[in-house]
Amino acid sequence: MSYFDVVYFLAFLPIVIIVYSLLPKKIKPLILLIASLVFFFLYSRWLIVFIIISALSIFLAAKKITKIENEKKEAIKDLDVLTKSKVKATYIKKKKLILIITVLFNVAFLFYFKYLGFFTGVLNSLIKIFNVSNGFKIIKHLAPIGISFYTLSAISYIVDIYHGKYECENNFLKLLLYLTFFPTLVEGPITRYNEVKDTLYEGNKVTYKSFCFGYQRILYGIFKKMVIADRLNIFVKIIFNDYNNFSGPIVFLGAIFYTILLYMEFSGTMDIVIGSAEIFGIKIPENFREPFFSKNISEFWSRWHISLGLWFKDYIFYPVSLSRGVKKITSKVKEIFGMRVSSLLMGAIALFAVWSLNGLWHGAGYQYLFFGYYHFFLILMGNIFEPLIAKVCHLLKINRQNWFYKLIQIIKTCLLVFIGELFFRANNLTSGLQMMKQIITNFTFKGFNKTVITLGLDIKDFIIIGISLIFILIISILKEKKIEIRENLSKKHLVIRWLCYYALILSIIVFGAYGEGYVPVEPIYADF
Amino acid sequence: MKNVLKSIIFVLILYLLVTLISYCLLPHDSVRKYGIIKTSIYEILGEKENTIDSVIIGDSLIYSGISPMEIWHNYGITVFDLAKSAELIEDSYKNFNIAIKSQHPKIIFFESNVLYREAKNKPWFYVWQELYKTYFPITQYHNNWKKYLFTNLNDSMYYSKINVYKGFKYITKTKPGLKLDYMKERNKINIPKENQEYFQKIFDLCKDNNVKLILISTPNMKSWNYGKYLGTKELAQKYNLEYIDLNVDNPLNIDWKTESRDGGSHLNYKGALKLSNYIGTYLQETNLFTDKRNDSAYESWNEAYNIYLEYLK
Repeated sequence: MSYFDVVYFLAFLPIVIIVYSLLPKKIKPLILLIASLVFFFLYSRWLIVFIIISALSIFLAAKKITKIENEKKEAIKDLDVLTKSKVKATYIKKKKLILIITVLFNVAFLFYFKYLGFFTGVLNSLIKIFNVSNGFKIIKHLAPIGISFYTLSAISYIVDIYHGKYECENNFLKLLLYLTFFPTLVEGPITRYNEVKDTLYEGNKVTYKSFCFGYQRILYGIFKKMVIADRLNIFVKIIFNDYNNFSGPIVFLGAIFYTILLYMEFSGTMDIVIGSAEIFGIKIPENFREPFFSKNISEFWSRWHISLGLWFKDYIFYPVSLSRGVKKITSKVKEIFGMRVSSLLMGAIALFAVWSLNGLWHGAGYQYLFFGYYHFFLILMGNIFEPLIAKVCHLLKINRQNWFYKLIQIIKTCLLVFIGELFFRANNLTSGLQMMKQIITNFTFKGFNKTVITLGLDIKDFIIIGISLIFILIISILKEKKIEIRENLSKKHLVIRWLCYYALILSIIVFGAYGEGYVPVEPIYADF
Repeated sequence: MKNVLKSIIFVLILYLLVTLISYCLLPHDSVRKYGIIKTSIYEILGEKENTIDSVIIGDSLIYSGISPMEIWHNYGITVFDLAKSAELIEDSYKNFNIAIKSQHPKIIFFESNVLYREAKNKPWFYVWQELYKTYFPITQYHNNWKKYLFTNLNDSMYYSKINVYKGFKYITKTKPGLKLDYMKERNKINIPKENQEYFQKIFDLCKDNNVKLILISTPNMKSWNYGKYLGTKELAQKYNLEYIDLNVDNPLNIDWKTESRDGGSHLNYKGALKLSNYIGTYLQETNLFTDKRNDSAYESWNEAYNIYLEYLK
């Protein structure tokens, strides 16, 4: 059952809403937990055991860390400064040990289910080179649904407890609900415990407003997926599977369409996720903020899959850049080359770690690693050349706040993103490189118009895609201007409101790319 | 209370609008003649009257195994798969009864696996599918907007081209079948009594409408066996019917390593090409049908074939 399945939004969700509404406030979170476990079970059956083990491990570790912290406070109460720091260090060591064991324990599950096959393959390639044995059998496992998402949430919780950012949760069932909450389970966002705990455990009432707003958001997500993403899927599949037979512009169009498809699918899923939670009065942070209005790659990643970017920033970038080893290196570099080079180097080392892991997080494959390093390179270049560009603009009296300059920046960023996504979608790294070669060496518009309409989509499909994208663009501009669309619409006359809702529902039913001849896009991020 | 009332009115108006659009998008003549629900449930009613040479009834085994578009392209004969997933024989009878109202096929193929499926084993999704098609007929033909949005809605003669597969399910996935000795000799398995009664009804219906009834057993190593083969053979002898058995000695030479999509239960597209070709040759050799590929009355089949090729990409 995916979030786009009729069974989800017309059966599962309504049943949960009804049961949740009928029961007293205190029991409401329990209903959400039961619904989440049922949802998990429907997807991954008995692999549910692993998420429970993960939850249990961070629950017990957090309790232990809190206990050590309290003991530490008690022990250093009346000590002098010198002894205090010595005693403190002993307790911190204990805490750190528990933290490391817990993080490794959870990462081990992730590694076992997701990366064992990939790394065995890498090992076998090395063995082949040195000709020492026949290599190991590559074992592939069916992973528990959402393991990449809930593992990161679990790590964020235990690390935050270690740093004393908030109190640990004393109720195991509540912590289990945080990790398994059914709307965020499959594709995130990677929520932080302190962001969601207040509304998640509150047992808020389902009101007429929360119900309507929630379903409006769900419908908007379905529209993005079924009218645009599923339709583009036909074209994208043909191009990526058979790129040798097409000219450069067609292959590049395939990359553009894939980027749009990915955005519509993933942000559409987030609309369903946030809308579903909103019905229960639960606030889930946004995962997208109009990424295609970004003026550079760094900004793009602060608007695209926000929760993942923030996770890497807090739990990889800062710890790496502030680590003892990196500090040592950068202080030496500072003495020789000065402050700017040293801070650039510090950023580069941390960024390298972030993008290596970001690439691997997206999938066990060389193309994903390449995808990560591609963005690492672009961001690093941006950091290096930014002062130079600012100087040149100043000298040439170019106003960087000018709308035209901004537009050029946006177009440049989009083009770079399209190339990155081409590698991301390519069947493997070799295919990605060959597609790029095809784009560069076979760049001819001869027969372009004729070919485009023979790739599974006809002119009528393109008209629908065009109109839908204009609709999404208008909504995005309004959101960028911080205009609350649903709030504004709710103040309009009933006839206008209903007309909008009917138009949205009917356009999904009539123009949705489902049924004969269409293969819906698989939930892309559910596999990560 | 006010909000509950408002919600009810909202849903009612929505349903009204969906029904209205369904009327616009379903094949016009078929809706006029058979009504919106029937046209939605029975896709064959979207076909122009008396244009189908042969129909197939059965379950997923046969709709995965025979592609009418391949038969059309190679032999110019029009075939329609009426088969439904996990079909029960009572529904086979119902489906054929409906089809015979708009078509006069000369040959009907009956997939024997249905003979052994008992009514009590009706899968849960069966009822759901029926309800879905009954109350949301638009979902079957919603893509017809492509035709209607750009032409005159008063066009009287338009037969849906959207049903490109004509009942076939196109699946390319491969999962090898391993139970190669599935047809080893064993005792006959009797066909349930209730199913025999329905078979009698189908037989009578064919006789009344002058349709040749042929029993067929699609290659299937998971739910078919020698005992069922003997039971079907006995039934064919009892009614003096032709029986095409495609399991004993593997006459189609199915390569179970590459031509099944799910470990030997259903054929995949590669396997379906073999079976479709076999059925095409069989129909051609009866000399009952003319080649209609150049007949302008069947132009929609040629158009459908072109779309079919796009789907296969």
